Amino acid sequence: MELEPARGALLVPDESGRGSHWLVLPAASQTPLPALVQQAIDSGALLGDGQIEGRVLLDAGSWRLNLSQLGELQRILGERGLELVTICSSQPHTHVAAAGLGIVSQWPNSTAPASPAKPDSELQVHRGTLRSGDHLETAGSVLLLGDVNPGARISAAGHVLVWGRLRGIAHAGCQGDNTACIVALQLRPLQLRIAGAVARGPEGAPPAGFAEEARIVAGAIQIDPAQPVWPISD
Amino acid sequence: MAATSTRYILICSGKGGVGKTTLTANLGIALAKQGARTAVLDADFGLRNLDLLLGLENRIVYTAQEVLAETCRLEQALVKHKQEPNLALLPAGNPRMLEWLQPDDMRKISAMLGEHFDYVLIDAPAGIEGGFKNAMAAAREAIVVTTPEVSAVRDADRVIGLLNSEGVKPIQLVLNRVRPKMMANQEMLAVSDVTDILALPLLGLILEDEQVIVSTNRGEPLTLTGNSSPAGRAYTNVARRLQGEEVPIIDPSKERQGFRAKIGRLMQTKIF
Repeated sequence: MELEPARGALLVPDESGRGSHWLVLPAASQTPLPALVQQAIDSGALLGDGQIEGRVLLDAGSWRLNLSQLGELQRILGERGLELVTICSSQPHTHVAAAGLGIVSQWPNSTAPASPAKPDSELQVHRGTLRSGDHLETAGSVLLLGDVNPGARISAAGHVLVWGRLRGIAHAGCQGDNTACIVALQLRPLQLRIAGAVARGPEGAPPAGFAEEARIVAGAIQIDPAQPVWPISD
Repeated sequence: MAATSTRYILICSGKGGVGKTTLTANLGIALAKQGARTAVLDADFGLRNLDLLLGLENRIVYTAQEVLAETCRLEQALVKHKQEPNLALLPAGNPRMLEWLQPDDMRKISAMLGEHFDYVLIDAPAGIEGGFKNAMAAAREAIVVTTPEVSAVRDADRVIGLLNSEGVKPIQLVLNRVRPKMMANQEMLAVSDVTDILALPLLGLILEDEQVIVSTNRGEPLTLTGNSSPAGRAYTNVARRLQGEEVPIIDPSKERQGFRAKIGRLMQTKIF
C-alpha cells in the first residue's frame, strides 16, 4: 500500500491475489464516507481492470468509524456484490465498531505473518468501558482506562492492563508470548487466558484496594498482588 | 413551540419482557398529566402492543405506515387519549412494513412529531437487530430499562454499547421489578450491583407490583387512574425527574419495612 491517494479513496487489487481488493481511504477528506466509497467503486470499474467483485479489505487508516458508518459502508458494498471481510485501522474505536458487526479487524502492518518471538512493545491506550459484546484487540500491549464488563473481551499480543474492573474475558500474549501478564485494579474476570493457558476467574470478593496481576508460573496462570513496577520495558 | 426543545427519548432494554412498553405507556400518561405535550411512538412494528396498554386499540384508523406513504396526514394517524388529551399515540404499521422501513423513515417520523410535541417517547423492540436500529435512529437520548437479573443486565450493557457508538446521550437507567425482600436476602442482584456494571445515572427504581398486570389487562396505565400503588408512584416520579425535578430515589430496604408496616396497619383496621 505505497499508493497514497491525494483526495479520493482507491481500490487496489490485493497482492495475495484471489480477486480481493483493498479499499484505501485518504488520510483526510471533506467528502462524506459513502460518497468517497461510491466514487472509488465507480472509478475502479471504469479503469476496467477486470470485474470488481468478491471480497474487499478496507484500509481505514486513522479514520474513526462508528457502527452506523461501517454498516452503511457494508450496505453500499453489498449493493455492488462486494463483501467487506477485513478492516485495517489504527483507531481503537473502529476496531470496536468492526467487532460489533462481526468483521475481522487488524492493526496496520500486522498483515505480515506475526512473529511469536517478540510482540510489538508499543502500547495502545483505549479510553472508555468495554461493554458486553465489544472486543478490543491490539498488536502490542493495551492499557484500558475503564472497565471490561461481563461479556466483553480484551486481547493483546503483549500485556493487558486495565485501569478499572476486569469482569469479562482477557487474553494476554494472544500470539504466544508466555511472559505476558494481565493487571487490573479489580481482577474478577469470567476467564483469563495467557498465551495458550486458560483459567477461570477467581470467585468471591476481591481484596479491597489492591490491584492484582496474573502471569504464567510453572505452566499455570497464577494471580498475585500486582507489583509496583511498569511491566513494559522500553 | 420551537422544535429544538423537543426531547426524543428511546425506551429500550435489549432483553424482552422487562417492561419497556409498560414504562412507555405509564411515562407518557404521567408526563401528559404534568402538562407536557407527549407523543408515544410504537417502534415495535413486529409485535406492537403499546396501543393495548393505553387502551387505544379500537380507535386506530391510520398508522405510521400511511403517514410515511403520504396517504394520510400525521394529525389523522395520531390517536389522542380520551382522558389525557396531552397524550397522543402514533401506532406502528403492519408487521410487513419492517422489510422496507429504514432509519431515515424513522427520523422523518420523529421530526414530524417534534413539531407538535414536547416529548417524543419511542418504544423500541427487544433485540439489537434492524428494528432496534431503526428506533435508535429516531432518538436523541435514551432510557434503558432492566431488571435485577444477570441476563437482563448483560443485554442492557450490550445495548448501552450500541447507543454509545451512535452518540445517543444522555442515557439513563430505570431498574424495574425490584423485589425488596429478595434483595434484602441477597437472592437478587442489589441495586449497586446493577449500577456498578452499567455505570449509568439511575432515573428510577420500580418495585414489583401486581397492580401492573391488572392495569395492563385493563388498558389503563397506573399513572392514569391516580392509583397510589408503589409502581404507579414510581412511574410518576420517573416523569418528574425527567422534567428536571429533584425527587429522591426510594431505598428498597426501607420500602420493605414501610410496605410491611402498611400491610400490618391494613390488617389491623380490617380485623378489629
